[in-house]
Amino acid sequence: MSSLSPKEMRQLIASRKIERVVVLGANGTMGYGSAALFTQAVPEVTFLARTKEKAEDGLAAAVKQVRSPTVANRAKTGSYDDDLASACADADLIFEALTEDFDLKKDIFDKVEGARRDDSIVATVTSGLSINKLCEGRSDSFRKNFLGLHFFNPPNVIVGTELVAGDDTDPGVVDFIDAFSTVLLGREMIRTADTPAFAGNRVGFKVMNEVAQLAGEIGVALTDKLIGPYTGRAMTPLATVDLVGWDIHRAIVDNVYENTTEANDEVRETNKLPDYMATLMDKGVLGNKSGGGFFKKDGKTRLVLDPASGDYTPADEIDLPNLGYIDQVAALHRDGRYKEGMAKFAAAEGEHARIARKVIAGYIAYAFQRVGEVTETIDGIDRIMGMGFNVAPPSVLVDALGASATVDMIAEAGLDVPAALAEAARTGEPKRFFNHTRINVGKFFVAE
Amino acid sequence: MAAGSEVYILGGYQTDFARNWTKENKHFSALMRESVVGALEACEIAPEEVESAHVGNFAAELYCMQGHLGAFFTEVDPAFSGLPTSRHEAACASGSIALLAASAEIEAGRYDLQAVVGIEQMKTVDSGKGGTYLGTAAWFEEEAEGIDAPFPKLFGRLGDEYDKRYGLKDEHLAEISKINYANAKLNPNAQTRTWYMNKDHALDRSDDNPAIGGRIRISDCSQVTDGAVTLFLASREYAEKWAKGVGKKLSEIPRMKGWGHNTARLKFDDKVAESANDEYVLPHVRSTVMNAMKRAGIDGVDGIDGIETHDCFTTSEYMAIDHFGITAPGESWKAVEEGWLEIDGKHPINPSGGLIGAGHPVGATGCRQVLDAHLQVTGQAGAYQVEGAKNFQTLNIGGSGTTSCSFVVGTD
Repeated sequence: MSSLSPKEMRQLIASRKIERVVVLGANGTMGYGSAALFTQAVPEVTFLARTKEKAEDGLAAAVKQVRSPTVANRAKTGSYDDDLASACADADLIFEALTEDFDLKKDIFDKVEGARRDDSIVATVTSGLSINKLCEGRSDSFRKNFLGLHFFNPPNVIVGTELVAGDDTDPGVVDFIDAFSTVLLGREMIRTADTPAFAGNRVGFKVMNEVAQLAGEIGVALTDKLIGPYTGRAMTPLATVDLVGWDIHRAIVDNVYENTTEANDEVRETNKLPDYMATLMDKGVLGNKSGGGFFKKDGKTRLVLDPASGDYTPADEIDLPNLGYIDQVAALHRDGRYKEGMAKFAAAEGEHARIARKVIAGYIAYAFQRVGEVTETIDGIDRIMGMGFNVAPPSVLVDALGASATVDMIAEAGLDVPAALAEAARTGEPKRFFNHTRINVGKFFVAE
Repeated sequence: MAAGSEVYILGGYQTDFARNWTKENKHFSALMRESVVGALEACEIAPEEVESAHVGNFAAELYCMQGHLGAFFTEVDPAFSGLPTSRHEAACASGSIALLAASAEIEAGRYDLQAVVGIEQMKTVDSGKGGTYLGTAAWFEEEAEGIDAPFPKLFGRLGDEYDKRYGLKDEHLAEISKINYANAKLNPNAQTRTWYMNKDHALDRSDDNPAIGGRIRISDCSQVTDGAVTLFLASREYAEKWAKGVGKKLSEIPRMKGWGHNTARLKFDDKVAESANDEYVLPHVRSTVMNAMKRAGIDGVDGIDGIETHDCFTTSEYMAIDHFGITAPGESWKAVEEGWLEIDGKHPINPSGGLIGAGHPVGATGCRQVLDAHLQVTGQAGAYQVEGAKNFQTLNIGGSGTTSCSFVVGTD
């Protein structure tokens, strides 16, 4: 989030022209999605891929995604071999959206470095590779103009965006891209540190992976019900893993697991991919893109995975225990009584409510423990969780539950209580953690 | 004409117009509750302080199978049980009519603190059925029955009338749409803030931007949605006490400086026939706007720092431009070409995104406009702030230019 006033942002944008953008990897989901986004604000966007045909495919996908043939009015296409040098020489912004493979990105940056003007900005959409490492050993002008601009998928729908500066990135470039993205692309910008998976994926995928671990223990159907919409989300964590793809999920949690230690991540094991997922991935299970993951459709029948065997059972043949408390919480949410709903959740008795509370408490605690590491304040994590993941931001949950009940929940889960929450429970200050008064917090508490 | 009002606007709260409350599986009561509770919190007002409530709504009986909406206000908090409440309807101007009723009661000295809720839940039905329901804002039997999308067609004819009298180009309408969508991207509660739009798309004549009523294409339309806005209006006495409590001076609290309200004949053809010899296509809209300025002691649009107008379609904003006096009659295109309508322009229109960008939950719109005017003149509009705004004017229209309401909201 920029510290500039709206008018200052508009003046800053006017001070520097972004008239030509090159998108590298424009045939991939993030590539064409981002390219389409740029065509709303930029007169010429060049889609580049390994072949011109692939770039054309990307353009066709972009047109389809935003449902406007006019994307093509502003688009050019080409291949790396034939067009990268000339396109990058003319470009004001070069946007890299290749597969999340460090060496692949390094190779393309070699080509970019040879072709670009000294004043062009180079951005990468990486969701978690190190910005500093990606520009290591490059020229001063490259490092000064290089940054992470992490849109979430699909960029035309999800506005939460991470902005990651390297050690040498010019602060003026960071401010400019912040203003450009906010004003012209309608982005909600969150500045994060250059830490593994940055802020959103670090916190978001930790929860999704912990829920996947839980599914291996108590079953997919029960887990999905327990960590359902009533806990502050439109889509359940397991359905989200299926949507993003198991391979992407694995790449993100593996990256975090490998680049953290018990000393700097107090719950590192929650980022360890469950063995059953690795086994099933070897058999081709990748979520929705492979035809099924935790869930799959057979006509109108919803099928649910058995993690141990890899078999699927119709959802309505699975017996679930009595989870009446969830119905009560959902009924309160349906009437807009969210605080009462969350109080009911906090007070619900029984093993299953405790399991659900452990995950939610784990999410809140993990987010608060990351303050100072991935973002300067909890606000950055709150905004990326709310506007990148579409789940209730940790501060919104704390405000709904109250600090004391939150602290009790974290203690019940056997986790360390973050200092800010302990302090709030003790002193009653601050009265609220989420201070974006115009943002509706009610939208996160979905009734089932 | 009565003297200028002494009605203060303490603030309010808007629900996110991108939300679909049916998808969230929420009842109408949740929509009401969120907006009222949000406004109480935003204004730091205890429920016990509220003396009366007015609810503006168009057609909950059709969309939600629910009437008696004034009574729903009492469901929000136990302290509201027993309060005098009422519901007001004037099609898309319902929210403004509720504001007029509440402010009249304050002027009359009946109450010191009033809640005004504009509310509509519309995503309960498909667009075909919804279009028919909206047709009841016209003379249904004669102008809407059996007609697909009656209102786009009526406002398409407004464009045709301009074309006939003065000439009208589609590219000017496209620019109006583009500006509203661009502004909406700055508004955290705008319905279309993630929708794809630029000038090329607004001019697109393919099936991705189909014609739905004469010259009106999808990109020319505001879209139905769910939403509620609650405002608190107060007497001078209450506002003084309240300002002290929140650490402000009374002079910083916006007032409803002026209002205008006219109702023209219901059928579009009758309105146009009446104005055949007039330089304004909708003279009653013109008089609404000018009355609000006069009552505010402002002698022309140059005294207004920004406008939130009723762009249910691009043609209605095009009409508003000359009716506000930004250009001579028939020359609205000049303001479009000169860039006057943009946030940093000479006459910013709809910095919020308006109905086209921010969304049009029918009964909520009049209240949403006044809340945005309040945010502007108190410097709280965030990324769509018009710098230094002191006076903002609204124009809210029900039917095909039938009921018009306008407010001038400003600080001293």
